[in-house]
Amino acid sequence: MIITKKREFKDLMENIKGYKSFFLIGCSECATLCGTGGEPELKSMKEVLEAEGKAVTGSFIAKTGCQVLGTKVELKPFKDAIDKAECIIVMSCGAGTQTAVELYEDKAVYPANDSLFLGNMTRLQFFDERCSLCGRCILDKTGGICPITACPKGILNGPCGGCKDGHCEISPDIKCAWVRIYERMKKLNKLQELCETTIEAKDWSAAQKPRTLIAREEKKK
Amino acid sequence: MSFREILNSGKFVVTAEVGPPKGTDIKEMIHHMEVLKGKIDAANITDNQSAVMRICSMAVCKIAMDHGLEPILQMTCRDRNRIGLQSDLLGASILGIQNVLCMTGDHVSAGDHKGAKPVYDVESVQLLKIVDGLNNGKDMSGNEMKGSTNFFQGAVVTPEANPLEPQLIKFDKKVKAGAKFFQTQAIYDIDKFKEFMKHARKFSVKVLAGFVVLKSAGMANFLNNNVPGIRVPQTLIDELKAAGKEKALDTGMNITARHIKQLKEENICDGVHIMAIGMEDKVPVIMERAGLL
Repeated sequence: MIITKKREFKDLMENIKGYKSFFLIGCSECATLCGTGGEPELKSMKEVLEAEGKAVTGSFIAKTGCQVLGTKVELKPFKDAIDKAECIIVMSCGAGTQTAVELYEDKAVYPANDSLFLGNMTRLQFFDERCSLCGRCILDKTGGICPITACPKGILNGPCGGCKDGHCEISPDIKCAWVRIYERMKKLNKLQELCETTIEAKDWSAAQKPRTLIAREEKKK
Repeated sequence: MSFREILNSGKFVVTAEVGPPKGTDIKEMIHHMEVLKGKIDAANITDNQSAVMRICSMAVCKIAMDHGLEPILQMTCRDRNRIGLQSDLLGASILGIQNVLCMTGDHVSAGDHKGAKPVYDVESVQLLKIVDGLNNGKDMSGNEMKGSTNFFQGAVVTPEANPLEPQLIKFDKKVKAGAKFFQTQAIYDIDKFKEFMKHARKFSVKVLAGFVVLKSAGMANFLNNNVPGIRVPQTLIDELKAAGKEKALDTGMNITARHIKQLKEENICDGVHIMAIGMEDKVPVIMERAGLL
């Protein structure tokens, strides 16, 4: 999921100082799990905005805020409340914010959250970054652990000299990605494979932004 | 004779480190070069060591040559992508720089520009392959070049890494990628180093054991606690303690000299690399005590 973190309220206040009325949009997927865009957060945002003398004309939690068409349909019943608001505050990720930007061309839209990374939730609201969306997966060569993400240097062929007792030079809290890969490959009896494979430099063209994808087959006319 | 020729001739070689300063005042650095000239076989010129921004390695390599020192261009992958690295390698080549040490490089978080974007487009193993390609007239994309490089390329290894096996796997990959020589992280336990050399001797690569002179027992403890891949045995710490504050540095130099002498006499490796870290003046003294001058 996309991991988000609430922005400093004073930064948001600086963004919206010229507006008086707001419509709030949250998201039932990642932002709800991150505690940044679910019901309690929308309620709390409404309260703090009202305490600052602002009006909240309505709020809504999108099922999947990055799904543009679905969100558009879901927002139809809220037309009046949105029309009354000078500004929309989106409490999900940057993708969700830009759904609102696309749907409301003439209205100011501001993000309430910073979007951090694609993460796995390991415990309630504990998140780890495990995939960098690099565009060409190498998990098949690294025992299923991604060194592009798990190693701060993204090293593809073994630990650097900064590995101390199996941990990273960046922080003792980070286990060396290559020690993890080594241990897993050893368990799988695949050390030989690890020794024999030199992973070539990555072709970063697969990560060239902005990326688009049409996953369905176009119907033949 | 060049560093490559001396190393291949079988003579026990000595390299030392020259760290470019931050800023354009290079008086002290030139003094260090003059102290080392004629004594060592080549000088490693560090590349923004510890991710602290300083004069670039290539410019200082040129100055070293002008002052009669053969340089080893240290090149990290932290600050340049594959275009920048190859372009700098070609530039180094036309300046007459013959040796390059390929490393991944300390992370920016260790340095003085912590907000910098770390590059790491390629890493040490891949950089070695790049150098091998350039030596054979081809860039990394396989394009033919007009004129190739003729680098003698090396790499680094940490013989006392914990765990060791992943480090050895990487060592093997570096050899396969074309590394001709290795300079090691500082070693303090000769018996353990011998174990590492048993592995390294399976390959026809040259190994220079790394040395960082211990100035005090406190420094030894600091290295043990903070620097990855360095393990100073308790016996050496006790030796430094027993020497007392005033004689600690002298004792540290004696320890280094003693170890170097043993490595040479027992033909354990092909040479040594002394990282003086600001004490370049002491390098000839250590060499003398080790019987190398």
